[in-house]
Parts: sequence; structure tokens; C-alpha cells
Amino acid sequence: MFETFEHTADLGLRVRAMSLENLLEEAGRGLFSMMVTNLQEIRGLQERTYRVDGTAVDYLLFDWLNELLYTFESEHLLLADFKVELDSEGLQATARGESMNLDRHLMEHEVKAITYHGLRVEEHTDGWFAELIVDI
Amino acid sequence: MPKGAFSGPLERVNDCCWRIPKSYKEGMRVDGLIYADDRLIEQIRGDQAAEQVANVAFLPGIQHASLAMPDIHWGYGFCIGGVCATDPKEDGVISPGGVGYDINCGVRLVRSNLFYQEVKPHLATLVDELFRNVPAGVGRGGKYHFNKKELRRLLGEGPAYLRDRELATDGDLDHTEAHGCLPNAVPENVSDRALERGSKQCGTLGSGNHFMEVQVVDAIFDDEAARTMGLAKDMVCVMIHSGSRGLGYQVCDDALKKFRNVPEKYGIELPDRQLACAPINSDEGQGYIGAMCAAANYAWSNRQLLMHQARESFQTVFGRTWQQLQMSLVYDVAHNIAKLEEHTTGGTARKVWVHRKGATRAFPPNHDEVPSIYRGIGQPVIIPGDMGRASWVLVGQSGSMDQTFGSACHGAGRAMSRTAAVKHAKGRRIDQELAAKGIIAKAQSWRGLAEEQPDAYKDVNLVVDVVHKANLATKVARMRPIGVVKG
Repeated sequence: MFETFEHTADLGLRVRAMSLENLLEEAGRGLFSMMVTNLQEIRGLQERTYRVDGTAVDYLLFDWLNELLYTFESEHLLLADFKVELDSEGLQATARGESMNLDRHLMEHEVKAITYHGLRVEEHTDGWFAELIVDI
Repeated sequence: MPKGAFSGPLERVNDCCWRIPKSYKEGMRVDGLIYADDRLIEQIRGDQAAEQVANVAFLPGIQHASLAMPDIHWGYGFCIGGVCATDPKEDGVISPGGVGYDINCGVRLVRSNLFYQEVKPHLATLVDELFRNVPAGVGRGGKYHFNKKELRRLLGEGPAYLRDRELATDGDLDHTEAHGCLPNAVPENVSDRALERGSKQCGTLGSGNHFMEVQVVDAIFDDEAARTMGLAKDMVCVMIHSGSRGLGYQVCDDALKKFRNVPEKYGIELPDRQLACAPINSDEGQGYIGAMCAAANYAWSNRQLLMHQARESFQTVFGRTWQQLQMSLVYDVAHNIAKLEEHTTGGTARKVWVHRKGATRAFPPNHDEVPSIYRGIGQPVIIPGDMGRASWVLVGQSGSMDQTFGSACHGAGRAMSRTAAVKHAKGRRIDQELAAKGIIAKAQSWRGLAEEQPDAYKDVNLVVDVVHKANLATKVARMRPIGVVKG
């Protein structure tokens, strides 16, 4: 699950999940929920695959979200369905979504960037937890 | 990440300045100085912005003090409203976080020969036309497309490149900070990803706090300066607030990624990863400086194209050319930037990299970098407020050179988080409330208006009062909005 939290000029994203894979998937949804109000209206018509290398979990989350943001910025593709698999060098993922359509998708924030400020990814006894702040 | 109110020391220096002594945290190289009066300092204590002022004081080569303007608020890494100058000769660093993602976010003010009574009957049409003609909001591309080769020229030359395409004039360039072109720009340092993001976004407003406003000169405080700028009471003007769009965000992001291990490499200890920096005299530092300056040139081009589209809209509505409407650029200022400037600290003149993260250059009269027409009054300083109250035009004063590396505030500063603002707006129609005050506001999203509602901001008048009193910049004209276009 994910939720947004307050930060004076920007927005925070908090994610909880049972596994790191699931945390990364939920973070992807969380990111797009800041850009589109009606995330449920995004249909899985197109697919993109990702390879992100890195073993530090915080940078892995950061780089993964950055890849997704770049997909939106360069192709105007909205993504809402993610499948992440981890291996020894990083992650392999597929994401499904569709092109932005202003008649159906209620666009909300322009996410300028993911920031390192307050970036946390932690494993707790009851699962994984992450927090980050995006620049709006 | 510490949350809640700032609990560190804030010592009163005078009526409009407070000190965080460098003894507050081990590692601070200089004091922190916050420009604020008694009312604003109470708001400033409310979050972690002052802690961020203290953190910036850790940066190697920092001169004088880690400074904050009265519109300071909590940012990421640097506070918003911060100024810091670093000396390359003292192992000074350059920090992408001290510039921000939106490199050369800034503001420009355009005048006209129209007065309020003349525009009032056409205001709704005018705002509709601006809303139609000026791309705003998430994911909306512009009508000016540049291929990679053209974009590289634009990044190297800034709006001068647009002059060749008749989208800018010599007068526009003269009235743009640095003539819209930083000579340290190295377009080759800008990544393909950044170029891709920038190829279709030049001439677009974006979202967040960016806007285009039709404003009226509401009150004049300095007759001579106003006359020199071509401003008169009740005159209709256009204010434009935007930056370097996706291109600049990507340049910052690329640099922060490259800088991940750089502080460690050079033995720099930082209290926050977002303060990542590199020595100015290092490959990493120079690589960022070249790309950042290129992104700054892009931002000036973006505001130039936004102004061009505003001029087109006025032409359509009023049936006269923009030249007949005398829509000349008063001035364009950057408020997220780092620039190499000469300043005197401790009795020594030195060239320093001045980081202005949410702060505006405010050079005084007779400064070489002030356009000749303004040399007698000082550099115009454009301060956008919120969409319901006021914006300001100031002029830089000598106090800025003595105290703040030639800098003043950049806006009202947020008082409410975006989430709190949306809650505060629940069940209300911000556009109708503004309409009751004679302001027509059009935004691509309800949420955009809610987050940017007047109540979400500090009172810009309080911020400007402090800047005026501290003699960083003095009041010339107060502007009130009548038409607002937002993403």
C-alpha cells in the first residue's frame, strides 16, 4: 500500500509492502497516483520492460522510479500495473499502461523529480517500508 | 529526517535578521543568517527550514554566512529562499541542490500601454485566449519544436538564438538577466535524456506554482524607478513564472546521480544527501556547471517563448500588434541559479559561485551588470506573490552587496503544505472566490488551484517589508492580479 504525506512545497510518498519486490511495484503505483487522479482508469494496453542495476535498496528504488518518470516524460505513457523481479544485480520489471488521454485521465501534479531528501528504504519485522519526497 | 518545529538557537541580530551561530552544529563553517521580522520568524520556526540553513553552512568554501531570505521555507537539502556563496580558491564546491531541479526558474514582467478600464470588458476573452494559446499543465507539449542540433544552439546562446527566428528582440535580451546567456554553458554536457525532455517543452508553462498572470499596477512607491521601467498606476502588465522544464530537472538529476560518491571521494562530510556537491575545480564540478548554465539558457528561452505567446494573445484580443501595444519586457530575473560573481567579503574582492535557491539577484544602482537604462535606479527585482493578493516590483540596493551577495527574496513562500491546502479548499470553489474579487483564474486542474490558493502562501507584503527595511531591495510598485493562467 502507498500513501502521500505532507511536505511544505512538495509531496511525500510512503510505501509499505510484505516484500521488496512488492514495495517497488507499489512505489510505481504511488508515483503515478501523484500524476493522475484516476489511476484505475489506466488500461494495460502497452508494455515496457526495465532493467535497473544496483544493490543499495534506496538507490534501487530511486533509480526505478526515475526510469518510470522518464517513460512518462518522453512518451506520455501512463503506467499503473507493475511486475518487479529482483536478482543479484538489481531488478527486472515490466510495466503496463496506456498513452495519456486528457479526455479520460485526470492529470494532477507534474512530478519534476524524485529527491534524495529523506529517502528511506527499510526492512522491518512486518515487511518493507519506504519514504521519499518528490519535487512538484 | 527531523520533522516538526526548529528547536535550535535563533539569536536576534537586528529588527530583520536572526543568527544561527556556527557553534550550533559541529561541522558548520559559518553562521546561518535568516532575514525575517518578529512575525515571519515565528512562522519560520514552525518547520525544518532553519535546520537546512544550518546544514548548508557545512559546504566547503562557503563565505560570510549561510543566508536565508524572509520567504524561506522547508525544501529538500537546501531550504527554499537560501543563498550561499562558495570560493573556488578556498576549495569551494558547487551544489546542484543549491540550484534546485528547476534550474533558472524565474520571473519576467512585461508592460503594455493598456490600462485597467480598457482591458476590463475584454478580460474574460483575454484570459480564455491566454489559456488556449499558452500550453500549461502536466504533459502538454508546446508548438516550438527543436531538433538536437537546434537545441544545442539554443542551450549555448539562449534567447539570442530565438532573435534570429524573430521570436525575440534586442530589447528583450537587454532586459534579461545576463542577457539570457551564461557564458559557462557547455551544451555537450547536457545528456540525451535531458535533450529529449526539452525538445518539445520550450514555450510551455508547466504546473505547480508556475503561472502567467495579467496584472494591474496597483500602487507606486518610487515614482522615478516606476517611470524608468515604464510603469504607471492602473497599467496592465503580464507576469510569467516558469523555468527550464524537463530539461533542467533532468540536468539536476543527472548531476546528483554522478555526485553520489563524490563527497566521499573528496572527503566532504554532509548532513543531508540532497546537499551533494563537488569541488568547483574538479571534473565533476565543471561538468555540472557547464550543463547547469546550458539549462539556464534554456529557461530564459522558455520564458521568452511564453512571453511571445502572451504578446500573440494580446494581439488577437485587442487587434493591434504587440509593438503598438508597447508590450516591452521590463525585466527577467532568475531565482534558482548559481552564478560566478565578484563580491567583497572580509575586505577582499573575490569571484564566488553564488547559489540562489529561491532568491533573486538584486544588484544596486551603478552595477556594471545592470542594463544601462536601469543603471541609475538599480536592477528590477520581480517578486511574484500569490494569485489573490499581490506581486511586487522592487529595485536592488547597496545593502544586498553588503549583506546577501547581491540577493533578495523570490516570492511569498509557502505557509501551508499542498495537502493542507487541498483540505483547506474542500467544498470551496477557489475560482469563484477569486472571481468575486475581480480575478479570473483558469487552471488545468481543480487541485492545482486549491494547492496554489492565496491562503497557502505567506503574505508577500510582509516578506517585501523585510527586504525593503534591510535595504536589500526597495519597493517600486505593487501589482494585483486580474487574470491567472495555471497548469
